[in-house]
Amino acid sequence: MKKQTEEIERNDFQIVEGELLEVSSGAEIEEFSGEEITKVSAKLKTKDKKPKTDNQKSYLQYIFLPLIFLTVALLGGLRLDAVNSAFVFLKPPLVCLIFAVILLLLFSRAGLIRLDGWFSENFSTLKNIANGAVLITLFFASAQIFNSLLPEQGLPFWVFAFCFFWTLWNNLFADFDTKKLLKSLGALFGLAFVVKYLLLASLTAPASQSWLQGIIENPTKEAFTWALDLPRFAAGTGYIQFFAVIFYLIGLFLLPSASTQEE
Amino acid sequence: MKEKYIQIFSLVLIVFYGIFVAWLYWAEPKNIEEVSIKAKETIENAATKGQIVIGTYEVDRLKFNDGLKAFREDNFIAARSFFENADPERRDAKTQFYIAYSFYRQGWGRAFNDDELFKKGLEQTNRVILIDKNFKSDDANLQLKTPAELKNEFEEGLKVTADDFNPLKLTRERK
Repeated sequence: MKKQTEEIERNDFQIVEGELLEVSSGAEIEEFSGEEITKVSAKLKTKDKKPKTDNQKSYLQYIFLPLIFLTVALLGGLRLDAVNSAFVFLKPPLVCLIFAVILLLLFSRAGLIRLDGWFSENFSTLKNIANGAVLITLFFASAQIFNSLLPEQGLPFWVFAFCFFWTLWNNLFADFDTKKLLKSLGALFGLAFVVKYLLLASLTAPASQSWLQGIIENPTKEAFTWALDLPRFAAGTGYIQFFAVIFYLIGLFLLPSASTQEE
Repeated sequence: MKEKYIQIFSLVLIVFYGIFVAWLYWAEPKNIEEVSIKAKETIENAATKGQIVIGTYEVDRLKFNDGLKAFREDNFIAARSFFENADPERRDAKTQFYIAYSFYRQGWGRAFNDDELFKKGLEQTNRVILIDKNFKSDDANLQLKTPAELKNEFEEGLKVTADDFNPLKLTRERK
């Protein structure tokens, strides 16, 4: 019995950590222990709060981010027909999938995504699968954002594709941190958006006119539309794609580099 | 909520939303109204495919009878429409045989046949042979009982021979 009490006492001593600086009087000890009690209670309060923030991170990572990325995947290929504003769903060309893969590699290199933080033997299978699913939504959103920003056909498609490839390929071998990468992508996508949905769209002749009427009223636009093989979409397309790009960049900004507990 | 439940909810959300997005790009609805129409069509198709998989696929009897009625009234276009709706998966030899036969009866002419309809009929007959090469119709009103006989009729009808100019040909009857 005595042995057991000694062992319990020894165990208790093992928990206490700290240095004894000086021997205090009884009154001081009382005062100090009072302070400690308040400190401990404060700690308990913060301990109560911590799981809430963890929970919020989980909501962000597992609910909000997939929602954002899948919405981008939905909007990225959506266009509105110039004549009757009907939905036109454009499937991403193969080059968009290749760009998406390069972009994910870039994310990994720049530390925007730490693969060992998203997949680990120490995680449960469910967590690994859920993390994988989130990254898959990121991949499809990336493919669709290229689908959104690349012109649909003709010479502009190849010029844009080449510029994207050139930039991504260069970035792949550059030293990046997460902030610089996000800024660079924001600038790249912003420029592509402006050129496609403002510049090229302003060069495209309206679809409602007949061919002859178009040539008489808008000879320059008709010439550009014909020469650059520009597709005619309703003005609403630009608005939809604007939100697609914004949502994608917000998603990237909120994307944690590692899974919740790992951080 | 426990993290485990959030992850499960996340997976469910990703799967359903992902399927919805993929379906939109596959079905390509033109507007919001068409989304529900296409969704209904997809569900019906999926149900039919499911019936095939589990072996409970059946021809819609009501539509088949309507088709048969139209066929006997020589309303072949309506008959084909009913038959096609009765057997959307084109798996029932009997229904497909009636479709092929409707091409024959519609395309048959005393002086000359309609080659376009006969070509379609020939294709349709080949389909019947693929489904069931031993098929034999039990309809007493049909003189051509098997797909082989029907196929021969189509092939002969499509050929241009000296026999086509025989004036006695005008006395022949539709089978």
